[in-house]
Amino acid sequence: MKARWILVATMFAVGLLFVAPMVLMVLTSFKPEAEVLNPESAIPRHWTLQNYLDVLNWSEEAPFVRWLMNSVLVSSSVTFLVLVLSSLAAFGITRVRVPGGGAFFYVVVASMMVPGLLFLVPVYFILNSMRLLDTPAALILPAAGGGFGVFLLTQFMRSLPKAIEEAALIDGCSWLGVYYHVSLPLCAPAMATLGVLTFIGSWNDFVGPLVYLDSIQNYTLPVGIALYQASYYTEYGRTLATSAMATAPLLLIFAIFQKQIVESMSSTGLKD
Amino acid sequence: MSSRKTRALLGWAYLLPYATLFVLFVLVPIVVAAYLAVMQFDLTSPRSAGFVGFRNFVDAWKDEYLQRAFVVTAKFAAMMVPSLVVTAFALALGLNAMPRGRNTVRALVFLPTMFTVAVTGILWQWFYNLEFGLFNFILRNLGLAPVPWLSDKNIAMPSIVLMSLWWTSGGTAVILLAGLQNIPRMFHEAAALDGADGWRGFWSVTFPLLRPVVLFVVVTNLIGAFQFFPQAQLLTGGGPELATRGVVQYIYETAFNGYRLGYAAAMSWMLAAVVAVFGFLQFWLMRKEAS
Repeated sequence: MKARWILVATMFAVGLLFVAPMVLMVLTSFKPEAEVLNPESAIPRHWTLQNYLDVLNWSEEAPFVRWLMNSVLVSSSVTFLVLVLSSLAAFGITRVRVPGGGAFFYVVVASMMVPGLLFLVPVYFILNSMRLLDTPAALILPAAGGGFGVFLLTQFMRSLPKAIEEAALIDGCSWLGVYYHVSLPLCAPAMATLGVLTFIGSWNDFVGPLVYLDSIQNYTLPVGIALYQASYYTEYGRTLATSAMATAPLLLIFAIFQKQIVESMSSTGLKD
Repeated sequence: MSSRKTRALLGWAYLLPYATLFVLFVLVPIVVAAYLAVMQFDLTSPRSAGFVGFRNFVDAWKDEYLQRAFVVTAKFAAMMVPSLVVTAFALALGLNAMPRGRNTVRALVFLPTMFTVAVTGILWQWFYNLEFGLFNFILRNLGLAPVPWLSDKNIAMPSIVLMSLWWTSGGTAVILLAGLQNIPRMFHEAAALDGADGWRGFWSVTFPLLRPVVLFVVVTNLIGAFQFFPQAQLLTGGGPELATRGVVQYIYETAFNGYRLGYAAAMSWMLAAVVAVFGFLQFWLMRKEAS
């Protein structure tokens, strides 16, 4: 019995060790600059919002609010596009059962095996010839072409019975009506998981914006704060304030959707 | 028009929006990658575009910098994958044995995986800072000499691995934990009856039953480790003395600082071939496992 409680205590200590960097980040972001470089006390002696005010104050070299808006625009567009396009495609493959749909599905799944690094140079080349480099579209369109959403929703729809959709068709509902009124609501759990994972992936993407964007005004948060840190690396208070603000939306999402996120991670190892 | 034809046209109308983006940004890039690899294609001088056959590959094979980058990438994988599996296993076994509070601790260790690599890099660069970083502050208070975490060419890579462990081991632990919880109770009970519990029970019962999940974790992380790049880009920039510049970073610099797209594409294929070997290995081992 005693050994079990020692285990629980140890595991809690380990858990705290994992979140300690995040706690330090938030606490330090409330310290005045003079205290930041002196880590004697983790808790600020004088609490201040100055770092946040400095960062939110518009500056040409580090337009934090602009980066935040770019991130919101890119991540929500990617999430919206992935949800709509993948659910339409999955509906076409599994319900309308279009000839060639099954083969198309296999091509999509096979393409997911190609390592991501191979796409870096050719996608840059294609975006360049479409004159899309250094625009939000350079991040949105390639992300919406990824196969994960189609894979997930097609598998999910295949596992659902078709009876309700067939009944709706016989009652005179159009295919589009069936998609919108029947299939989409049935897919809600899978759509929620897909939406959350897509948003997180897009929000955290670092290599995409690093390669496909050029001007500071167009950066998303991850590249923006990395640049900020590289040029103001001694001003840790402000850098940590930007980091805390960039992470806050994700922590909120994690608090709400913890179950979906952890479960989707858990199931990755079990299925195949 | 027959109803079958109508249905086919209608069906492809549903597929078309996605299929357009898929063709444009997944299929065409694979073709373009093949095309670029056999061309001399420098963005800085558009006239230089010309067919060179396999010369990019021959040059890459002899490229001393690429060889060094491959060694660095392999080194990262060799340090990262075993330490990740051991850490994640320890976490998963600990979590699995918890009579209470399991979900809370699971959330705590999973939390770092939610961070963007940029924030992770900023945080750890602050910890690793030679003069005013947290780690050296602790060392000095213990009366020990400060460690040049990122500026020594032998220590920089382990430092990057340590940061990556904090960042990713919680996610891997969650996968292993799900595997552990998938093992029916009766196996453990039968083993305990036969006197195989504790360490022996782990090696003779738990581990063999978990083999498919472990295999999955090892290979996916091996594939990930071979595409190692942003961590070093953020923490060390590939230094000191190129000690942490992996293949992807070399490709990135060749393509987007030097604008030699053809050469970069050829090197991408070479790395992709190595990664593909791991993919096939996984496929083959899984089939063997299943039969």
